[in-house]
Parts: sequence; C-alpha cells; structure tokens
Amino acid sequence: MRRITAWLLGTVSGVVLLVSYHTSTMGSALPPAPTTAAGEVSPPATAATAPLAGAARSAIAAPAPATPATPATPATSAVPSGDAVVNGAAVSTRWGIVQVQIHVQNGQIVDVVPLAVPDSNGHDFRVNSYAVPVLHDEVLAAQSANIDTVSGATVTSNGYIRSLQSALDAAHLSRS
Amino acid sequence: MTPASAVRPRPVAPATRPWWRDAAGSAAVGSIVVVAALWLAHRGLQDLTSAAPGSRLTSLGRLTGLVAADLLLVQVLLMARIPWVERSYGQDTLARRHRLVGFASFVLMVAHVGLITAGYAAADRSGPAAEAWDFVAHYPGMLLALAGTALLVMVVVTSVRAARRRLRYESWHLLHLYAYLGVGLALPHQVWTGTEFVSSPLARAYWWTLYAAALASVVAFRIGLPVALNLRHRIRVRKVVREGPGVVSVHLSGHALERLPVRAGQYFVFRFLDGPGWSRGNPYSLSAAPRRDGLRITVKDLGDGSARLARLKPGTRVLIEGPYGRLTGEARRGRGVTLVASGIGITPLRALLEEFDEPPGTVTLIYRGSTPDEFIFRDELDRLAAARGVRVFYAPGRRARSRRSWLPEEAARLSDVEALRRLVPGIAAQDVFVCGPQPWMDAVRTAAAGAGVPAERIHLERFDW
Repeated sequence: MRRITAWLLGTVSGVVLLVSYHTSTMGSALPPAPTTAAGEVSPPATAATAPLAGAARSAIAAPAPATPATPATPATSAVPSGDAVVNGAAVSTRWGIVQVQIHVQNGQIVDVVPLAVPDSNGHDFRVNSYAVPVLHDEVLAAQSANIDTVSGATVTSNGYIRSLQSALDAAHLSRS
Repeated sequence: MTPASAVRPRPVAPATRPWWRDAAGSAAVGSIVVVAALWLAHRGLQDLTSAAPGSRLTSLGRLTGLVAADLLLVQVLLMARIPWVERSYGQDTLARRHRLVGFASFVLMVAHVGLITAGYAAADRSGPAAEAWDFVAHYPGMLLALAGTALLVMVVVTSVRAARRRLRYESWHLLHLYAYLGVGLALPHQVWTGTEFVSSPLARAYWWTLYAAALASVVAFRIGLPVALNLRHRIRVRKVVREGPGVVSVHLSGHALERLPVRAGQYFVFRFLDGPGWSRGNPYSLSAAPRRDGLRITVKDLGDGSARLARLKPGTRVLIEGPYGRLTGEARRGRGVTLVASGIGITPLRALLEEFDEPPGTVTLIYRGSTPDEFIFRDELDRLAAARGVRVFYAPGRRARSRRSWLPEEAARLSDVEALRRLVPGIAAQDVFVCGPQPWMDAVRTAAAGAGVPAERIHLERFDW
C-alpha cells in the first residue's frame, strides 16, 4: 500500500489501542468529592495494614482543618415506589473521608456510588481505581455490608463498609 | 499594456489594527499567568516549602507541567494562521517564535515528567522506575500521556536543524503534524490527575475551552479558510513566460479576483496540481500588483520544486493559501520610498512599485544582481521610470569580498552607508523596503540605519523560515 496510507493506518491503530486501555477512559478515578475531608499529613504508618502505608503523604490536597470531621447524619432522598437513594455517613479514616451512597430498588441494592474517597494524592488514585470497583461488586453480590476488605486497601475498605452500613441502616435494609 | 479597468482600484484587504499585536501578545502572556495562578491557588507555593518528602518536587513538577501544556497550546495557535495574528506579526516572526516556544515547552515538559516521577517516588519511598511504571499502568489517562510525550519528543528531535537537513521536507512535515496528536493525548491526564483541575470544575471548563479554541482555530484557519478561498476563486495557470536565465513568470487567472484580499507586496503559498509532489506548498510573492483579470508570480529555479513551474501547462489548477506578508504599503510612515532588491527579491518590490503613486523623483529602486543578465523586468522598470519618475539604479557585480556589504565589489571602495546616501540623498525621511537573501538584507538594514532611517521605517521580509 502507499506510504501515506500506511502512516494513517498505523496512527489510527495506535490511537485505538491506546484508548482501549482502561485508564484512558476512566475519567478522574473519583467523582467531584465534597471537600469535607481532613487530608491529614500522617506520620510514617506503623500498622502495616497496607503495603501502601509507610509513606508520609505530601499535602497536595486543599487545606484542611486539623480535627477530623464528625460523621454527618445520613441523608435520604425519597424516590417513588420503594426506590431510595441513601447517603451513608461520612466516615473519617486515616487517609481521609469515605462516604458512599446506595441506590435501592424494590429492596435490592442496585448501585453503590462513592461520594467521597481519599484523594489527597496520586496514591489514592491507585487504591481507588482497583479497590472501589471490587468493593462495589462485592456489595451487590452480598446485598449487605458483610464483605471482605480489599487487600492493599484495608483502611479505605473499612471506611467504605462503615459508611455503607450506616446507609443500609438508614434505608432499613440491614440484616444483622 | 493592460486596460486601466483591469487594474484594481484600491487594496481590498482591511487595515491591520495596531492593537491586535498587543492583544495577541497579552493573551499569550495572560494564559501563562492563569496557569500560574491555578498552581498558587492549589497550595503550589506552600508545597514548595513543605517538608513532606517529595512535596517540593511534585509541586515544581505541577508548575512546569502547567506552563508546558499552556505553551503547547500557544504553539498550536501560533501556527494556526489566524489572520489577525498573521497580519500583526508576519509569518516569518511567527515561525521564529514558534521555534522558541516549542523548545521552551519541551524543556518544561521533560522537567515536569522528571519532577513528578521523582516527587511521587520520594513520597512513596519507591524508585523512580517503579513509580513511572505505576503511573502508566494505573493512573487515569497516563498511558495516553506517555504516548503524547513520545510523539512530542519525536517532533522536537526531528525539528532540530541537524535533523531537518537530513529529512525530505514532506517527511519532516508529516512527522511534525504528529505534534497535534501529542498535544491532544496529553489532555486527559491533565484534567483527570492534575491537582489543579480535578478539584475545580471551573479550571476544568477553562482548560477544555482552551483546547477547543485551539482545535477550532486550526480547523477554521488552516483548513476551512483556504478551502473557502479556493472554492471561490478557482485559480488556474494562464501562461508561463520566461523572464531570464532560470527565471519564469506564471500568469494566473481566477474568478472574483477583485474580492481577493491581497495587496502588492504580499505572497501566497502555492500548490500546483500538476502531478505527484503537488502537496508541497511554496511561498511566492506576487510580482505585479493584483489585477481583476489575473495575478502574476515570478520564480527563480532554486531546486526546491521551482524548476517544475517552467513546465506547467495552461489550465492547471492552483491551490492558494494566504494572503500573507507585511511588506505592503500599509507599513509606510515616511515621505518617499526606497526599494532595495537583490536577485529574485525584486518580485514583491516590483509589485509595490505599481502601487506607489508618488511625485516623480521620490521613489527609488536599487537593484542588485550578480551579473547584468540576472536583471529581470528591465522593460517594465524602464516604463515605470519613464511614466512615474521612478529612479532605477542597477548595481551588478559579485558581492564585495573585503567585508560584509550590500554593495558589489566594484563599489566597495565606498562605505555601505555612504553609497546609500549618495544614491538617495533624502533617504532618512523615506521608507525603505528590502528583499533578498537574509545576510544581504541585514547589511542593507545596517546601512539604512546608519544613514538615519529609523527602525520602524525599514521593512524586510524573510523567506527562509
């Protein structure tokens, strides 16, 4: 084929392959988070809950108050005919606030949306990008907060589960 | 002689407003201020002085990334052939600045990559290689950014002078076009991981708008405008005339030429649809004032495709891009004009001569050539001399050897300035238009300045950008 055609074909193929990789269309790994979080600059972590720990985070996030935010009361927005969208409590973790929102239809959890996850530095992107989808799928499968934490993201997972539990409680869906 | 009605009554091109240049420059500088402000607003300065490991490096990395990205957009806009920008600066100045801004943004981009990688590696207490791999594999848009960086590196490497000399022009140009793709591929990672953009919808909106505006400019002015121009005017070759050894004039015809916004002294980039290799455009000045019934260009065989023009068949379709050029009567500020030409540089000045309607004796043409055979348009110049009192001086001879001079060897006993003063005693009050090889033009400019012509009345245009 002619050289210019080969160039065009090569370029288009390259771009298609690049865009197919999952990070090329993921958007920012998190939704626009309400900055209620305290992005604490932590001392070198002692509890080895995650391989990620052990690094002091650089304070890239917006300036935060020193005291952790108190968990907000869960809010419920009423949606007609047994459907509900319920916000869980904003749980304060070592790396920041975690808050989830559940979407309920006919008594079933159909979606879990992260409203706030730690985003104080790029580290958190990595955690969120693999942990949040895993947690989401586990919740939908278990239809409860009785799920395993994701290894390598224990702190975020725990915050996620606690926020989820408070949302389930508010939606009267918790099965103890 | 062509009937008077065939000559256009007055220039069609709208005037260049002086504030355009200030506006364009201010917009470019302003965009850099905006990104610096974004950096400051997101704790850039605090992080620069923070003790947290990697914080300083990352903060500096963010700043260099922001400015590099902004300069890349300025790059795109510099070459978008926006008419107001082109008329304010001229294609030659824009090309020079494009080169400068390009290398500056490249250096900043490389710094950005290094600083961010080192900063994150320090924060995570891992090595830079592991960190780099981490970026590319997991962070939003980073694989695209890596590809974009690779493309931009390739573009810069092939644009260094040493590399350009080795590449065919078409190959170099094709590779250079990948810069557009490189700039576009870098955008997602900026808005998806850039601290300044992730947390601020306003900043994101601004950034997307900037990219959209750059893209729109390229589409509108590099593609849309020339397409419209060619559809409206449908230029064709009318005839090809030999003017002298290695020099041909191509007479062009078209439609609605009275609405073509071109002035004497300007040039177009021409593409003659005469077979393979047509896609390479060459800039040629009009060698006669634009007429309602046609245009003329005059080209010397310099080996870059110009020899093909001698073999053009009448009726060949011609694609034009432009008009470009600031060497027009619009630039005039003085009383009287001196035109200094060397070799094929006579072309835009010959066109300008037709436009100037000055009292006899106030327009002077000094025409340099290596040998007397080289002078073209002699009969036309003689006619102008007779009809309008234009003073024409032919200055044949090889370059003066003893020093860098605009004079031929035969006149080298005079200083550059002295020779100019003798030819045109009142030159200090006049406008001086110069066209020829760059080093020779510099010598003329120095001489004119020495003879008392202020810088804003010396008009040159480079063609070797």
